[in-house]
Amino acid sequence: MKENKTKKEKNKLSKKTKIIITIIAIIILIGIAITCTIGLNFDLRYRDSKRMELYLEQDFNISDIKQMTDEVMPGKKVIIQKVEVYEDTVSITAENITDEEKQSLIDKVNEKYGTTLVAESTEIETIPNTRGRDIVKPYVVPFGIATLIILVYMAIRYRKLGVVKTLLKTIVIAIVAEMVLLSIMAITRIPIGIITIPLVITVYLLTLIGLTTYFEKELANKISKETSK
Amino acid sequence: MKKLKLLTIILGIILITMVAFFGVYVQVQNRMEDKVKDYSYAMDLKGARNIRLSVDDTTDTVIKDAEGKEVSDAENLTDEELTEKGYTKEEVKKNSDEVLNEENYKKSKAIIEKRLQELGVDNYIVSLDEVSGDILIEIPENNNTDSVVSNMGTTGKFEIIDSETKEVLMDNNDIKRVRVMYGSNNTGTSTGTAVYMDIEFNKEGTEKLKNISNTYVQTNTTNNTNTTNETSTEETAENTEEETETKEITMQIDGEEIMTTSFDETIETGRLQLSVGSATTDQDTLNGYINQASSMAIILDNGNMPVAYTVASNEYILSDVTESELNIILYVMLAIVAIFLIILIVRYKSQGLISAFSYIGLASIFVLLLRYTNVVISIESIFGIAVILILNYIFVNKLLSKLKKEETVNKGIITNVFKETYKEFFIKIIPVCIAVITFCFIKWEPISSFGMVMFWGILLISLYNISITNLLVRINASKGGKK
Repeated sequence: MKENKTKKEKNKLSKKTKIIITIIAIIILIGIAITCTIGLNFDLRYRDSKRMELYLEQDFNISDIKQMTDEVMPGKKVIIQKVEVYEDTVSITAENITDEEKQSLIDKVNEKYGTTLVAESTEIETIPNTRGRDIVKPYVVPFGIATLIILVYMAIRYRKLGVVKTLLKTIVIAIVAEMVLLSIMAITRIPIGIITIPLVITVYLLTLIGLTTYFEKELANKISKETSK
Repeated sequence: MKKLKLLTIILGIILITMVAFFGVYVQVQNRMEDKVKDYSYAMDLKGARNIRLSVDDTTDTVIKDAEGKEVSDAENLTDEELTEKGYTKEEVKKNSDEVLNEENYKKSKAIIEKRLQELGVDNYIVSLDEVSGDILIEIPENNNTDSVVSNMGTTGKFEIIDSETKEVLMDNNDIKRVRVMYGSNNTGTSTGTAVYMDIEFNKEGTEKLKNISNTYVQTNTTNNTNTTNETSTEETAENTEEETETKEITMQIDGEEIMTTSFDETIETGRLQLSVGSATTDQDTLNGYINQASSMAIILDNGNMPVAYTVASNEYILSDVTESELNIILYVMLAIVAIFLIILIVRYKSQGLISAFSYIGLASIFVLLLRYTNVVISIESIFGIAVILILNYIFVNKLLSKLKKEETVNKGIITNVFKETYKEFFIKIIPVCIAVITFCFIKWEPISSFGMVMFWGILLISLYNISITNLLVRINASKGGKK
């Protein structure tokens, strides 16, 4: 009777695990498909964009400029930044700034700040995109070194659970966790921006905590089984 | 007595929290100044120096003689004088049309990245416009920024040429590596420490240098001439004239003459040492020479850029993450913490309340610690702070759940529970500690700042909970508030 119950529980558990694995696999597959076809959605700061700078001759509020850009370029993602130590120049970055948009913005700025800016003497700069691999590159070595040392530690600490099995589980789970994160970002079209790398690091560390918790449990079970024998 | 102790600790925590989150304001002249040290922000939160390198489209005026050889000392001649001498003027593009291609732009970008790495810039973004060849660099603003910028537009073209014929004898391809050396110099007019740039050539370069140092030497030739005395035709005098002929080389960096010299002896070592400035005892001057030599060494060491660039714009642009956005992040984090602390209080009653106070104390000390340990706050480290808050919550929750399971709580049991929780918790985070320590040593600001935040956080969790949380839990348990 008891044996039947544990068998049922095991089956239930494996069913649950199977469902989780299937969901994860589907998320990753959809993520890969979207990345390969549409690509990842890079944030404006990493995309090809246009930038113009306007000398306002006075301190200003970013929210005021934001209001103007919202009126002139409705629905467009715009980055507004203050320039230089006196913070009297505004830098406006958007995916594209047309001549009409430039003219309207300058008119609005002249009206609000009393400046005499002229569209003809205001240049629109092209900002080249930052490649994904350039964003990731500085993190490869630190992650590589840390992972290598952690794998050595895992292999020693959980040798009783089987070195190869432990290492494989660690590598696979760590990779899968990151892939799930990136796939979710690809599916939901969350932009790859300044929070992506911190998110990757956080997921990496939380996965490590999850893995050690799991291995510690397994190790304790194994030791208790060995002592009971 | 115990109540008083508890109250004192709680009041202490409230005080620290006020200082950490609201500051200590003192009137300085006619304004209020926060005396609590401010955070140091990284490039992504503070702002960055934006440098645009544009492909140099200017031309150089080159004067050539009738044979087509470049004439160096004819800049001051008028057009008529040039025609008289048979010289011709040519406008030569700094970048020939052949070099302006995507491959060379990419090579230039790679060289700039290497230079930034070797100049110790710990955070940068380099992007390339593959069509125009323009390179956009973002680097942090600090005392070295201007010096770094000055090294970005330099092509780094090294040449040793024949002073007379202008034939290129050696170039960047012959260099193996360049280092900066310094040593005491007590000879000559100046005494003190002298800085040298030590250029080590590769195998081919060593052979070339050997030949050059054999050829470009000072040679003395003796001429015998017979002169006849006009007054006495019988008397003949023999005069000996010694002529010194010197073949010299000119060393150039980016077309600018560094030195013109000849060699006293054959150089077989394949190394050339150039002194930078004169020997000095003044530390500031010496540091200046060392910086100058180091920058030049880094430029030469990484090869010359195939395309010549000019610094088209150089300005400091503040981060688009504004203070109000940072405040929003802070409030969201505080709200999440508050929700979880309420859960803690509901689950563990008075011990939960005491632990919640303790938790707030840890968070306050943590933010003060980050200010005074000069940890750079980046987007990554904000996530680090969040991870530390999560880890401490896990620790406190684990501790309280273990205490709840105990039927009676006394000093001995609390000590055991603490010991057990510490052991379990720190065994689980050993891999995290490994990663954190590794990150601390990485010379990339976003990741090292994350590592530093985590390092101080983990250290604080271990010390704070064993002292303050332990004390609070004990006092609370002894006054009958076990569960």
